[in-house]
Parts: sequence; structure tokens; C-alpha cells
Amino acid sequence: MGKKPAEPSRVHSPEISDEDIFAAMKEIPGYLDITPGDFKEVYQLAWRQARERLLRTAQAREIMTREVAWVRIDAPLQEVAALMARRKVSGVPVVDGSERVVGVISEKDFLRSMSSGGITSFMGVVAQCLKDKGCKALGLRQGKAADLMSAPAVTVAADTQVLEIIKLFKEKGINRAPVLDAQGRLIGIVSRGDLLKLDLRLAGGAS
Amino acid sequence: MNYFQKMRGNTKSPPRVGLAEMAWSWLGAFLGILAVALINYKFLDGTAQVMLIGSFGASAVLIYGAIKSPLAQPRNLLGGHVISAIIGVSVYKLFPGALWLAAPLAVATAIAVMHATRTLHPPGGATALIAVIGGTKIHALGYFYVLAPVGLGAAIMLAVALLVNNIPRSRSYPEYWF
Repeated sequence: MGKKPAEPSRVHSPEISDEDIFAAMKEIPGYLDITPGDFKEVYQLAWRQARERLLRTAQAREIMTREVAWVRIDAPLQEVAALMARRKVSGVPVVDGSERVVGVISEKDFLRSMSSGGITSFMGVVAQCLKDKGCKALGLRQGKAADLMSAPAVTVAADTQVLEIIKLFKEKGINRAPVLDAQGRLIGIVSRGDLLKLDLRLAGGAS
Repeated sequence: MNYFQKMRGNTKSPPRVGLAEMAWSWLGAFLGILAVALINYKFLDGTAQVMLIGSFGASAVLIYGAIKSPLAQPRNLLGGHVISAIIGVSVYKLFPGALWLAAPLAVATAIAVMHATRTLHPPGGATALIAVIGGTKIHALGYFYVLAPVGLGAAIMLAVALLVNNIPRSRSYPEYWF
């Protein structure tokens, strides 16, 4: 069998062999005027089309995480940090007394407040702590969610398409967006991880 | 893939069809060619008109033997034959004294135009060629060759294909009309 040149940008469909196609063709009565090789090429291109269509049309509600960890606007930062650690998330929506999402608080917000000079990486904060003989995290003890959160929250609707979400993440430089229903209530959250999971599913790598 | 590697091929041949498929292909082809052959030899014997031309044998392979093929659908069968016939007769009339040129010109042009009109039907190439090399009886028909034997003969074979190909549960014809 000859080898086709590798195309770096090609998205591979779930692997299908000439034998699979041959067996399928045998199941169809009548002569099919196509070679297994041509069928395979059609199949792979059709898969790529389908994948792009799904990426364009999939909506937030289909990929969002429903079990959202969230905090009240007056929650002490100590509790916020503990919740994020327990749920192993890097950001949570902040909700006010009338159930509105008013902001998002993330690791980045903590890092920013713990360092001077605009350092927003974990190692940057560690370096600074070691140098200054003291951790600025202690200064956050009295703080509330409202003091640290990024507001207003960048949110999406349940029917926002995935492609829009990707654009939004890129434009705003964010990693997650709370998903709101038509009444503005929090129903889920879409993170970069959710987008990656969709991508893997469409590439056939994981289910 | 380089030039010589391409010549080795890169996939396998499609599977053999079942016995039932062979039997239905045989029956359809027998009845289809029988219909035009009867007209040709029983009704038109002794006249200047013909109804049976060689390219119908090739059409039979497709419309009774490979009925799912796009090449075998009504649009391709009728369109391919009629368009190729027009081209064949025209090319012969342009170069009646240079058959060595008219023959390849008719076939090549027929293929290109069938492609352009999405009516590719391999027997059309033969239909165009027959208009050029078919001898005095064919030449004498002039453009009537397009209507009969070509158009009418193809239509009769199409009617047989519709009647026979839809009898078994496993078969259905056509895939599309136009």
C-alpha cells in the first residue's frame, strides 16, 4: 500500500480500516461503484465537516459543567479559597443577594492581590514571599469575595455557541464563564477544560 | 506519492456481489437488450433505421449491473447518450473525410461535455464514436441518430431498468432522476 503524504492540519477521524469498509460494502447488496480507498477518503473528509459543524453549533448547555461551585459576595476570602481548594477549581462565580452573578473570582485574582508589581504567577508570589520574609496572603484574612472579584462577570447564555465562547475567552483573556438561563440564574459554568473535552470527543480520542 | 509509486495502486478491489445480484443483473440486461434487439431485427429489418448500437451493451452493464452508480442514473443514461450523439454527428459532419481526427475528437469532446453537464455515462463515448465510425447506414441518419436509435433506445432500456430493477427487495432504482 502506498502512503499518502502527511497533512499536518488534518483532523483524523476515528480510525477506520480498508477491511472495515470492505466488510461494510459486502453487507450492502448490489455493486457499489467505489473503491474502499475512495470511501475512506470521503469518510475522513465528511468527518471533518461534521466536526466543524458540531464545533460551530454546539451550545454552552451541552458542554457546561452543571455542578458549579459558587460563593456569595460577602463570603470571607478564607472560605472562598477553601472552597476552591476542596472542589479543585481555579475560579468561582460570585453571586449577590438577589441571585445575580456579579463577578468571578479566580486564582489570578488572589495572585494579583498577593503580589506587588503586577506579578500574577504562582512562582512569582513564592519568590516574593521568600524575599520579603512574609506572605501577603495573610493580609487577605479580613477580605470578602467582593474585594477581590473581577467584575462585572463575563457570562454566556445557555444557547451561546461554542465558537462564540472560544472567541470570548480569547478576547477577554479569561478561562471560564458562568452560564445563565433566560432569567439570569446561574445554571452552569464553561471552562477551557470543557472546551478541551468537546474537542477530544469530536476527535474521537475520548468519550 | 511520487509518479511511479502511484502506478502500484493504493487500495483493494471492491467485494464480489452475491448470486442474487448476478441473477438480477443478467435478467435486466437480457430483457433490456432483447427489447431494442427485437425492434431492430424484427420491425426495422430491411429499413434504413436501426435501434441497436454497440454502446447499449455498455449501458446495460451500468443500468442493470451497477444500478447504484451515479454513472447509471437516468440523468446520466439519457443525458450522456443524447449529448454524445449530438457531438458525434456534429464532429463527423465537420470532418467527414478525416475519420482519424473525427474519432478522437468526438470521444474526447463527449467526455468533457458530459462532465460539464454532470451527465457522465461511459457508453456515451461509444455513442459519439459510433456516429463517426458506424458506417454508411449510421451516417445516412444524420442528426436523426440522436433521436433514434440513441434517444429512443436509451429510453426503452431505461423503462426496462425501472420495471426489473425494482422487483427484488434488495434493489431500488434509480437513486435519483435528474
